[in-house]
Amino acid sequence: MSPRLWPYFLKQAIWNMIKNRGVHALGLGTMVASLLIFGAFLLLFVNLDTWLRGWEHALSMTVYLDDGISNAQRNKVASMIKRIPGARIKRFISKADALEELRDALGPQSGLLDGLSTNPLPASFEVVFKGPEVAKTLSSQAMEKLKKTPGVEEVQFTREWQQRFDALMRMVRLVGFIIGGLLCLGVLFIVANTIKLAIYSRKDEIEILKLVGATDWFVKVPFLLEGLIQGILGGALSLLTLFLAYLLLATKKMQLLSFPILNFTFLPSEYVIALLIVSVLLGLVGSFIAVGRFFEL
Amino acid sequence: MIQLFHIYKNFGANIALNDINLRVHEGEFVFVTGPSGAGKTTLLRLIFGAERPAGGHILINGINLSRISRTRLDLLRRKIGFVFQDFKLLTNRTVFQNVSLALEVTGERRSFIRKKTRQALKLVGLVEKEKAFPLQLSGGEQQRVAIARAIVKDPLILLADEPTGNLDPELTKDIMVLFRSIHMKGTTVVVATHSRELLAGTAQRTVFLNRGRIVGEE
Ligand SMILES: Nc1ncnc2c1ncn2[C@@H]1O[C@H](COP(=O)(O)OP(=O)(O)OP(=O)(O)O)[C@@H](O)[C@H]1O
Ligand SMILES: [Mg+2]
Repeated sequence: MSPRLWPYFLKQAIWNMIKNRGVHALGLGTMVASLLIFGAFLLLFVNLDTWLRGWEHALSMTVYLDDGISNAQRNKVASMIKRIPGARIKRFISKADALEELRDALGPQSGLLDGLSTNPLPASFEVVFKGPEVAKTLSSQAMEKLKKTPGVEEVQFTREWQQRFDALMRMVRLVGFIIGGLLCLGVLFIVANTIKLAIYSRKDEIEILKLVGATDWFVKVPFLLEGLIQGILGGALSLLTLFLAYLLLATKKMQLLSFPILNFTFLPSEYVIALLIVSVLLGLVGSFIAVGRFFEL
Repeated sequence: MIQLFHIYKNFGANIALNDINLRVHEGEFVFVTGPSGAGKTTLLRLIFGAERPAGGHILINGINLSRISRTRLDLLRRKIGFVFQDFKLLTNRTVFQNVSLALEVTGERRSFIRKKTRQALKLVGLVEKEKAFPLQLSGGEQQRVAIARAIVKDPLILLADEPTGNLDPELTKDIMVLFRSIHMKGTTVVVATHSRELLAGTAQRTVFLNRGRIVGEE
């Protein structure tokens, strides 16, 4: 296919879209709406994910202390903890307290502990986090220093939360895939039908083109371009709308589920690019489907 | 060269062509004539590959139309000019665009397309109307646009279906002169017509069709 034809194809595609603007606007509108729903879902997902990821580690942390720790060292550890941004010491659990709690937890079987000659449990600080920096806290220098402070035996994060969140996020992701898949199918259907209508409205013209020696590709390419353009426009418009909606919500300091979302961010660039690629592909594949079975002369 | 062997064509119960055997040599000028409904248009459309025969074989320059791929048929059509009885012009394109379309599909150079299109329009006397749309033209003018589109690509074969049906005697003569000159350059020309006047003054080979059969030749 001669490269000289591309300006002609592009002109045809745009001209056709302008002529069939009603159908195209309707198709484009539906496409934008579908992609917007999907994009909004992604946006919520991404924010929920980072938000939870921030909390899951930081909800609580236990700093276990060496057995022979001196009071001075213990105070040093406490001040180190306070230096971590957002950290707050909930309470100090002495060795005796720890044993007492274990005894309570064991209940009737607490007799097992009677045989112990020494208390094997370490003393610890229970630490909770608060504030917007929770995610950064984990990698902060203060945290690294704390782990190396003399008298600190181990720093442990509560894993139980993480597992629960992971399960939740897996569910959300699954639902996202299903919604996304269905919406993609919908968009494909819309594009294919829009292009099919465009082809149908130009049936006579196609016949004449074929009669003067046009190859199938010569006739098809403008329609494929129409689908491509629709995909690009659909992707771009839905992302733009999503971004505007995001700006509106972000400035209003949206409250979601009564938790303030402190860092409501827009989709990361990979997601934006992926969404664009998907919409372009949908446009192309949709028009391929429409064009594929039409030609029989 | 055009060869037809035992060609049959039916539209439902209606038999349009019945056992047609015909050979048109390269560079020949042939008239096909006969009453309305005889099968003239159908015959030309079969040669053009716009219609498939129900039986028989059609060879164009030795190429069997029923054996070649669609793409090769498309390419073959670029060498065949067809003047349709109903013109088949694109109403949403100008006269100029309608004529240039025949070259546009081949991906020729812009400047070349423009030059050839002007030439063809000049030959049919429509240069001043190049910006008009088909529906703004008279029947005769539309017919001449169709002729210009058929000849613009310098076809090896020119198939003209009732090309002077809408023309006055003066223009009819002009167009026939045009066809002659195209024929002189080596193009094989087949003209279908029921016009006796058109045939009267010529000593050309003429094939008579009636009810789908060849009933005579002179
Ligand atoms: N597409 C079609 N569908 C059904 N019947 C058709 C079709 N095309 C042609 N026919 C029939 O085939 C026969 C031959 O038609 P054709 O158009 O070839 O005649 P013709 O010789 O060109 O007539 P005219 O001089 O009026 O143009 C006619 O009986 C016509 O009704
Ligand atoms: Mg006819």
